[in-house]
Amino acid sequence: MQDPMTLGSSQSSVSTQERHSAADQPLPSTPQASKPLAMTLPAKSKAPNFRRMRRVIAEDAEWTLAIVPLLTELCIQHIVRNFHNNPILKQLLPEHQQKVLSHLSPDLPLAVTANLIDHESYWQRCCMQRWPVCHVAKHGGSWKRMFFERYLESLLKHFIPGTTDPAVILDLLPLCRNYVRRIQVDQFLPPVRLPLPPRTGDQSDSGSEGETEEPVMDHYQLGELVAGLSHLEELDLVYGVKDCGMNFEWNLFLFTYHDCQSLAATIKVCHTLKIFRLTRSRVDDDKARILIRGLLDHPVLEELDLSHNLIGDRGARGAAKLLMHSRLRVLNLANNQIRGPGAQALAHALAHNTSLTSLNLRLNYIEDEGGQAIAHALQTNKCLTTLHLGSNELSEPTATLLSQVFTINTTLTSLNLSCNHIGQDGGKQLLEGILDNKTLLEFDLRLSDIAQESEYLIGQALCANREAARQRVLNPSHFISSITASSLENSMG
Amino acid sequence: MNPSVSLGVLEQNAEEHVSTPILGPSIYSDNPQERIQARRLRIAARLEARRRLHVAPRLLTPPDHSPWSPGFLQCPLLLQAPLRTGSFLCQPEWSNSLELPSLGRVCQTREALGEYLDGKKESEEEQSKSYKQKEESRLKLAKLLLCGTELVTNVQVAVDTREVHRRVEEEEIKRQRIEKLENEVKTSQDKFDEITSKWEEGKQKRIPQDLWEVLNTQQLHCAGLIEDKNKLISELQQELKIKDDQYVKDLKKQSDDICLLLERMEDQVKGMTKSFRQELQHIEKAFEVERQELLSSNKKKWERALQAHNAKELEYLINRLKKVEDYEKQLNRQSIWDCEEHNMIKVKLEQDVQILEQQLQQMKAIHQLNREKLEYNFQVLKKRDEENTVIKSQQKRKINRLHDILNNLRSKYARQVKQFQEENQALASDYRRLVMQFKELQKAKRHFAVTDDEKFQEIWLMNEEEAKALIGRAFDVDKIIHTHHLGLPWTAPDTSLLRNVGPLSQKRQRKSAAQVLEEVLLGAEEEGAEEAVSEAESYLDLPKQISAKTTRKILMLLCDESGFLIESKLMSLLLPLETSECYLLRLDAIFSALGIESEEDLYKLVHFFLKYRAHHLSSSQIAPSDQVNAERLSTVSFMEQTSVVSVPEHLSLTSASEEELAEQTAPEGEAESPVEGEQAERESPLSPKLIHPNDVLKVLEAFVMGLRKPRDARAPRKMRKEERDDSEDSKYWRALTTVIPSSKQNLWDALYTALEKYHLVLTQRAKLLLENESLEKQNTELQQLLRQYLNAQINSELQVPPTQVFRVPTK
Repeated sequence: MQDPMTLGSSQSSVSTQERHSAADQPLPSTPQASKPLAMTLPAKSKAPNFRRMRRVIAEDAEWTLAIVPLLTELCIQHIVRNFHNNPILKQLLPEHQQKVLSHLSPDLPLAVTANLIDHESYWQRCCMQRWPVCHVAKHGGSWKRMFFERYLESLLKHFIPGTTDPAVILDLLPLCRNYVRRIQVDQFLPPVRLPLPPRTGDQSDSGSEGETEEPVMDHYQLGELVAGLSHLEELDLVYGVKDCGMNFEWNLFLFTYHDCQSLAATIKVCHTLKIFRLTRSRVDDDKARILIRGLLDHPVLEELDLSHNLIGDRGARGAAKLLMHSRLRVLNLANNQIRGPGAQALAHALAHNTSLTSLNLRLNYIEDEGGQAIAHALQTNKCLTTLHLGSNELSEPTATLLSQVFTINTTLTSLNLSCNHIGQDGGKQLLEGILDNKTLLEFDLRLSDIAQESEYLIGQALCANREAARQRVLNPSHFISSITASSLENSMG
Repeated sequence: MNPSVSLGVLEQNAEEHVSTPILGPSIYSDNPQERIQARRLRIAARLEARRRLHVAPRLLTPPDHSPWSPGFLQCPLLLQAPLRTGSFLCQPEWSNSLELPSLGRVCQTREALGEYLDGKKESEEEQSKSYKQKEESRLKLAKLLLCGTELVTNVQVAVDTREVHRRVEEEEIKRQRIEKLENEVKTSQDKFDEITSKWEEGKQKRIPQDLWEVLNTQQLHCAGLIEDKNKLISELQQELKIKDDQYVKDLKKQSDDICLLLERMEDQVKGMTKSFRQELQHIEKAFEVERQELLSSNKKKWERALQAHNAKELEYLINRLKKVEDYEKQLNRQSIWDCEEHNMIKVKLEQDVQILEQQLQQMKAIHQLNREKLEYNFQVLKKRDEENTVIKSQQKRKINRLHDILNNLRSKYARQVKQFQEENQALASDYRRLVMQFKELQKAKRHFAVTDDEKFQEIWLMNEEEAKALIGRAFDVDKIIHTHHLGLPWTAPDTSLLRNVGPLSQKRQRKSAAQVLEEVLLGAEEEGAEEAVSEAESYLDLPKQISAKTTRKILMLLCDESGFLIESKLMSLLLPLETSECYLLRLDAIFSALGIESEEDLYKLVHFFLKYRAHHLSSSQIAPSDQVNAERLSTVSFMEQTSVVSVPEHLSLTSASEEELAEQTAPEGEAESPVEGEQAERESPLSPKLIHPNDVLKVLEAFVMGLRKPRDARAPRKMRKEERDDSEDSKYWRALTTVIPSSKQNLWDALYTALEKYHLVLTQRAKLLLENESLEKQNTELQQLLRQYLNAQINSELQVPPTQVFRVPTK
């Protein structure tokens, strides 16, 4: 159509380009070609006459033949511009919604966007803008959830009781209540004491110092927030301050009784909670018992993590009681001060428990007394699959019992006995036990004074077990043949 | 503080397994840096050793000297060494070395498993290369991963152990410190006590110098105490400072650890990606190789196939050429032969053509002839056609006419049908009317029969009376004759005939049930006294042949059992009566309730009872003899049934046939009766006791049910007038005539003649008497007349009076 004009310009190269551009142009442009030209004529005012006839002018890089955008485009732009005051989204067609969302600014107030926009792409942009690293998989694959969870988390992290306005968080509550499933806060700031007394060496060492200031030292109370979140499933808290470095002070890590009681009340009321973690917060026996009392007979709680605290035997007894009165599947009491009696209580609960699959008692003091009790419990238990008894000063008697457990138990798949004093003989006994076992897949015996030979052979046995398990998963029908193959392999190896 | 010295021995023990002993940093030392260094050194050494070793397996045959023999203790280390380092420069070699034993294994397993897995093995072999490579890579990567995680977690484990050690030490130190503090407390307490005791002493001092001295010493003591405390404090502070330093160091260490962890993780990630990539490459290579092999083998196969195909093609071509030549020859031959044949056929056909032409000529001629003929025929036919049209029209007219006639006939027929119907109706109504009339006639006839009967009876009675009167007169006359005339004593003649009143055999024909009852019961009563009842019995049971005894017993039983049928009022009335009478009345009531009216019914009832009992018997105790009875019984019952059924059938017939029916039923009854009679007689000794009183009601019920039908059917039959038997009548009358014997008549005749004579005499006498009398009379009259004449005046007048002539009798 434009051919006669271009031919008139007598530039072959231009004509090819022009053809190219014509091909590039969307189809409706050809019938409309005359119209924009006519319209641009007054706008371009004194542009040379021949120029207005062309689509492309090779010499002029700026030259584009502007086309009046479609009305829908204009409307969308307008909507985007005024989205803050007049959010229109739901009424639009899906493709228009997409366009609007792609042009919306991530800085729009949450009050406007939170309950209106469900599209992941927008929230992805919001997240990407705020945080450089985003693991959306950790938040259930939902960018929106991730945004709100991390936003709430950052607010909580920087909340200073007494100085920060609680309304900051409570205002967010109606916006995020449907999206937040997890609260993961790894620091709670204590209230700031403005008249900071000059610190002397005397004051810094004692824990008794907090007594006078305890009412002042309470952290943010989660009660209202948690009660407002209707889908909350996971609570991961650390009552402490991050990156204190050389400004360390015990007060920064003080989990007060009031905190504890309010937290216990909070989690007792929250019936959707599945995972509760409270780590590195200097929770002692009494606080642990308060918390556990709050969790007794909780309807859905599945995982409890109280690692890196100061829980002793009484707290362990409380945990054992909780095992009897809940459907807990994972219990983590790593790095506490549980000794023999506490481990015995746990073992007693474990022997009759039918829900717990994972138990972590790393870095405790259960010693042989508790280790033997747990080994006895494993002889009757039928559901525990993972057990961590690392760094518990266990020795040969426990190993002997465990080797008996291996021959009986068919559910345990992972066992960790690292950093114990099993000794050479204990290692041999464990090896004997392992050779009769077909289910154990992981068995950590590092730094436990075992002879390298037995460690190697145990590794071989585990390898065989792993192969068998893999075969079982791959083709359950050829289970027998795989067993024979693996036995052959064993004999060959 | 550092147990590395003791651990060092252990470590050396462990290290002895390694071929090249490592001197220098120990992996079990508490310093992570040192440990890491030690591990690196060890790994380097292992690598070295493995490389050296790997030269050998390449030269050696795999199964014998593979490094996988279990005795070879270095292998675990060998295994772990490259994996731990994360350096994968020697991977290809490694994979080669792995391949050898696995191949060997495959061979061995094949031998071990034998031949039965042939197909499977082949497929295994086919996929073996890539599959093996995959398996290997997987295993290797799994191991790598395991070792990698182990390597990374080693840091944590090391920290854990360190923490454990630290805790142990800390506890120890704490204990020591506490002890120390306690000691200190004790000693200071002692000192303090000493000082306080000295205060007392000081108070007692009165001399200022002494006091001063004491105070001085006290001050000194106090200063010492304070100094001790200060020393302790400073010591503790020192310790605190050390701890602070320790804390800083720990922080640093931790950061180092974390750095190390990060480094390792990064290394691990890098190494893993690298190894994964490598493995991928290996797998790809293996696939490539396999593909190449497959390609080449397939190509070979293809080529072989192609060659074979070519050879075959050639063969086919040659064959084809040969065949072509053959066929060409054959074709030639065939063409020559065909030519000849063609010529021959041509000649022949030409001849044929000529012949046919001739024939054509002939045919043409014939055709001409035929045409003419046909034309002529056509003309003829045309004419005929015309004629036909005429005839047709005529016929049509005729048809029309016939149609008209047909219609007329139809209408006539319809009319006639109607007429006949009407007639039929009329006839039917006539018939109905006639039937009605006939019925009425019958009724009238019946009525007249009844009236005739009555009249007959009356006439009979009248005649009889007359006859009897005549006979009586005759007897009287005879008597008079005998007594008066003959002077003989008169003997009365036999007058039994005269006792009869009314028509003969009327009473015997029908007897009501009650009468029978009475007879039976009375007969039974009499039976006890005398046996003369047999006369009555025979008379009673002549047709039925059932002993009266049985009947009576049955009836008594019935009477006893079915008292409910009797009205209570009657019962009360019956109470004062005699037993027999009572029974009679009761039975009468019962029969009226049951609807038993006639003698027949009564006997049926009795029969029914007997049969029931027989049935009962046969069903309860089946003896061989009883079986026969039962059979007989069944036949009897069947017969009875037929008779019962036959009755309604016969009833539909006209009254004329009813006589026949009566005749038929009578023999049947007779045929029945002997059997039943026998039966009854045979079982009579057993009789009444075998009908249990409780069964009576059942029997009665059954009987009533059975009776109802025949009763209903028999209703019209009752109307029938019993035909009189008049055979006896003439005899009777004749007998009546001969009441007076002939001797007497002769006597009477003789007497009559004598008396006649006597009468004659008497009459003559009488005549004479009369004559005499009349003469007397005439005499008197003549006398009178004479007297009159004589007395008359005329006489006086007369010249000659007669009186003078005659002598007048004087009277």
